[in-house]
Amino acid sequence: MSWSEFIYFAAGSLILWYNGTLALYKSKNALWGNLLIAGGILLFAAFIGLLWASMDHPPLRTMGETRLWYSLFIVLVGYATYLRWKYKWLMAYSVVVSTVFVLVNLLKPEIHTTNLMPALQSIWFVPHVTVYILSYAMMGAATIAALIALWREEGKEGELFALIDNLIFIGFGFLIAGMLMGAIWAKEAWGDYWTWDPKEVWAFITAASYLVYLHASYANIPKRKALLIIPLAFIMLIITWLGVEYLAVAQESIHSY
Amino acid sequence: MAGKSKGKQETFIRELLFILAVTIAGFALQFVIGTLDFAIFAWPVNIVLAALLLALAFIKPDSAAGKFGSGRVSVILLVSITVMSIYMGLVPGNDVKHSWPFAFTYLMIMANLALTIGRRMRNFKLKRDYSFMLNHFGLFLLLVAAGPGSADMHRYFIRVAEGQTEWRGEGEGSQTPKELPLAITLNDFSMEEYSPRIALIDKATGETQPSGKPSLIDCVEGTEGIIAGWSVAVDTFEYRPRMAPRAYITATRKAGNSVLSGWVSCGNHFQPFSVLDVSEKLCFAMTFPEPKKFSSDVIVYTKSGVEKKGVVEVNKPLTAGSWKVYQYSYDTRAGRDSEISVFELVYDPWIIPVYAGIILVMLGSLTLFWRGGKKE
Repeated sequence: MSWSEFIYFAAGSLILWYNGTLALYKSKNALWGNLLIAGGILLFAAFIGLLWASMDHPPLRTMGETRLWYSLFIVLVGYATYLRWKYKWLMAYSVVVSTVFVLVNLLKPEIHTTNLMPALQSIWFVPHVTVYILSYAMMGAATIAALIALWREEGKEGELFALIDNLIFIGFGFLIAGMLMGAIWAKEAWGDYWTWDPKEVWAFITAASYLVYLHASYANIPKRKALLIIPLAFIMLIITWLGVEYLAVAQESIHSY
Repeated sequence: MAGKSKGKQETFIRELLFILAVTIAGFALQFVIGTLDFAIFAWPVNIVLAALLLALAFIKPDSAAGKFGSGRVSVILLVSITVMSIYMGLVPGNDVKHSWPFAFTYLMIMANLALTIGRRMRNFKLKRDYSFMLNHFGLFLLLVAAGPGSADMHRYFIRVAEGQTEWRGEGEGSQTPKELPLAITLNDFSMEEYSPRIALIDKATGETQPSGKPSLIDCVEGTEGIIAGWSVAVDTFEYRPRMAPRAYITATRKAGNSVLSGWVSCGNHFQPFSVLDVSEKLCFAMTFPEPKKFSSDVIVYTKSGVEKKGVVEVNKPLTAGSWKVYQYSYDTRAGRDSEISVFELVYDPWIIPVYAGIILVMLGSLTLFWRGGKKE
C-alpha cells in the first residue's frame, strides 16, 4: 500500500459518506445512512492501517500524514455527535471539511517518504499526535456549531449551547492530554519538559484561548459573546498545527517537519 | 438589586486595577533592571514562595484579597498571558519568558489558583469538586514546580572520546569548561543509519524530481524504481568503514531508448561527492545517509561513589544518583565513524512534583470526557 492508491480509497470513502449523509436526510429509516457512513469510515481506516503496515513507522510523521488522520477523525467526531445528538448538519459539515483535507493531500501531498529520526522513535509518538489530531477535529466541529449558533437568532439556538460545551470540554481534555504526553516525551528525549519552543508557545496560546472560553461563564460573560472566543481560539489552533513553520520564529523549532 | 450589581462592578474594577498595576510594575522593572535572572528563585526562595502561595488558600473568599480568586480575575489573567505569549510566538529573538511582566502574570495566575482552590476547600463535596480539584490543584503544582522550581535545575554538556574518561563540561551557553559532579567513561559509540537514496536533482535549485512529488530509491543492491520516467537500477552498493557510500546505477529512459550508467556518491568530510549527469539541468545524486539510531556504552561515576554501567540512547536516558545522562550528539561530520559522543547532564530536583502535577491534570482531563460541558 502506498500513497498512489490513496485516491481510490479516499474517493470511495467520500462517495459513501456523501450518500450516507444524504440518506440520513432523505430516508425515514436511518439504517442505510448509518451503514454507508460506517462503511466509509472502515474503508478510510483500512487505508491508514495498510499504509502503516507497509511503512516501517506509523504514518504520523509528515504534515500530509497528520491531515490524513484529520480527514478520518473529523468524520468520526461528526458521526459520533450525530449518533448522540441527531444533528445531521454537523455530519454534513464534517464530510465537507474532510473533503477539503483529502483534496489538499491529493494536490499538495507533502508526504515525501521520510525516515523517522531517533528523537521521534518513542512510545509517546503515536498517542501524542493522534490525541492532538482528535482534539483538533472536535474543536473544528465545535467551531462549526458555534458559527451556526451565532448565525441563528438570539434565543433560537436550541440545544446548540449544550452541544458546543460538550465538544469543547471533551476536545480540551484531549488537547491537554496531548500536551502533557508531549511534555513527558520531551523530558525523555531532551531532558526538559517545556522549553517554549515556537510550537509549544502556540500550543500554549491555543490551550489558554480555550481556557478563556471555559471560564467565560464564571466571569458573567453572556453566552453569545463567549461564543465569539471559539473561532478565535480555532485560528490559534490552526496556527499551531499548520502555521508555525511559516513564522519567522520557527527557524530553530524542534517541531519542524 | 441595582446597588448590589454596582458593588460587584466596583470590586471588579479594583481587581482589574491591581492586575494592571502589577503588570506595569513588571514593565518598569524590565526597563530599569532588564531581563529577570531566574537564579533568584533558587532554593530556598522557591519553596518559601510555594508555601506563601499555598497560604493564600486560607484567606476568606469574601475578603478584599480573597476576591482575587474569582473567575473574572482568571479570565483577565488568561487573556493577559495569552497576549504576551502571542508576542512571544510572533516576534523573533524576544525573551518574553524571562521578562518581569510575564513572571508577574505567571505569579498572579498561581495566586488566583491558590485562592480559588481555597474557596472550594471550604465547602468541599467530593462528587461535585473532584474534577475541579484534579485540574486546578494539579495545574497549581505543575506551575510552581515548573516555574520557580526550575531555578534549581542544572544542565551541562560533556564531550567524551571513545576509551576516555571526562569530568569537565560546559553549562548552557557557556564555553568555559567546568569540573562536574560526575564523570563519564565512553566505552563505545555506535550508530545505525538508514540507507542513502538515489534522487534526480535539479542542478540549479537542488529540488528533487518530479517537482512537488519527489520520488527516491533506496540504495540497496538490486533495487529498481522509477523516477520521472527513468527506470533506475542500483547495480552495486559499497559502504566501507570511513569511506563515503557509493553506488553504481543504471538509468534507462523508457521513451527515447537512452541508457546512462555510472557511480554516484554523496561524499563525506574528506571525499568529494559524485553525480551522474542526465542533462544540462538534471543529474542523479545520492542523499546523505540519515541517522536511525545512535547510542553510547558508558560508565558513569558520581562523587558519592555511585558507579553505573549502561547504554545511553536518544529517548533512553541513564539515571545515576540524582542526575540523568542524555545522548545529545556526536561528531556529525564523521557520522557513523564518530569517535566522540556528546551527553547532556540534567539535575532536576523538582521533577517529582512536576510529574505529580502532570498526572493530576491528566486524570482531570479524563474527567472532562464523561462530564462534558455539565456545570457543577
